[in-house]
Amino acid sequence: MTSAFRDFARGLSIQVHVIHALILRETRTAFGQHKLGYIWALASHGFFIGIFAAMFVFANRSVPSGMDVIGFLCTGFLTYNLFMGTQGKAKTAVKANVSLLYYPQVHPLDLVAARCLLEIATVMVAFFLFMFANTIYTQHFPLDSALLTLAGLFLAALLGSALGLCTNSLCVLWPTMEQLIGPLLRPLFWISGLFFSIAEIPLFAREALLWNPVLHVIEMTRDGWFKTYNYKFYSFSYVIYWILGLTVLGLITERLNRNKVLSS
Amino acid sequence: MIELRNIYKSYFVNGFRNHVLNNISIVFPDNVNIGILGLNGAGKSTLLRLIAGVELPDEGSIHRTGRISWPIGFSGGFNGSLSGEENCRFVARIYHEDVDRIIGFAQEFAEIGRHFFQPVRTYSSGMKARLAFGLSMAIDFNVYLIDEITAVGDNVFRNKCAKVFDERREHTSIIMVSHNLGTIAKFCDKAAILTRGSMQIFDSVDEAAKIYEAL
Repeated sequence: MTSAFRDFARGLSIQVHVIHALILRETRTAFGQHKLGYIWALASHGFFIGIFAAMFVFANRSVPSGMDVIGFLCTGFLTYNLFMGTQGKAKTAVKANVSLLYYPQVHPLDLVAARCLLEIATVMVAFFLFMFANTIYTQHFPLDSALLTLAGLFLAALLGSALGLCTNSLCVLWPTMEQLIGPLLRPLFWISGLFFSIAEIPLFAREALLWNPVLHVIEMTRDGWFKTYNYKFYSFSYVIYWILGLTVLGLITERLNRNKVLSS
Repeated sequence: MIELRNIYKSYFVNGFRNHVLNNISIVFPDNVNIGILGLNGAGKSTLLRLIAGVELPDEGSIHRTGRISWPIGFSGGFNGSLSGEENCRFVARIYHEDVDRIIGFAQEFAEIGRHFFQPVRTYSSGMKARLAFGLSMAIDFNVYLIDEITAVGDNVFRNKCAKVFDERREHTSIIMVSHNLGTIAKFCDKAAILTRGSMQIFDSVDEAAKIYEAL
């Protein structure tokens, strides 16, 4: 037992060092090119939220259940960005860093993990900054359950990372996929409840929309953030089944592809 | 010590399976510098990558003891958009070494001057190789896997490498692949020849040289 345990502990320590080094390096390549790189990364998350907030105000559209416009859009967009961001980062993680696989201790999955962790950290920072600013602006702190809010955000990140693991392998097998993934996922922007609440949707459409796990995680974040928003149409287990299914599929395809990736 | 048992490796190229290594078994003992000779395309680099653990064999097993380097050569391993210094920083971290010490050593050993702080993509292949060598020398490996040292710069630099290996001889050995007899003779005690997927090891470089020159 002890020797197996020691091997495991040693392997784990190597992996922690590798992922740590990869995250620092990724930080440098992702934000280090410009002086305001990190500010830009945060601001880019605010861009769409600003545009949609302006549209809501000019169209005089109200948001449901006592939510404020910015808070409503932030919970939607940033949860969605966590999903799409991790997916996008994981998709190209190996391709962008293939030269690092030259070091035997760097595993393709480490590349995916490091990129996803950095993306999660960035969006989380954006979420808390925007929510903090909005709380000061509206003079109202609507937080219902911090745990539920975090659950929504983390499940979104896990869902994106798991899907990214699959799209990563698909892109290796079939390079055209890299261009196709974007358009294929684009509809999710419109049907995941970024700028509507599932409670506003008529029953017949609601059931169809609830097939989409991204909508579930966004509803979770909203239910967690707003005391006044209490619609529980989402399901934890449904989202977790998706995550488990995609992770298993992603790991299998990664293993099948590994020799091809390593020899490239 | 590194032991290869019944190693097979093949690649799919345009729908055809290309067998690169066929049932290779060999033991690389500690403290013996071994050169592997082979013509271009004989599978030397593949063998080195398998020994390092960069790639996995189709069949067979590899047992390693001690600390083994990545395959050091003039390609691979560096990110072109980052500077030499930043690349060294990354490697120091993944080997859990003191970052400042590694960077200092690599910079001094590579002797590439201010280029050390420029993006690696601006380097010549000789400069890349010097950096790779400086960096690998900074980390105390037991076995250095070297791919085509012939590409590394001038004689002065090669002598410098030879001197360091000589100083560390007690706990450091080299496995080197090359198609050039001269470099193998300079660095190695024994030599092996890789042809058509199989490998034969000889007790001296001279013995191997006779067979190799007849290829």
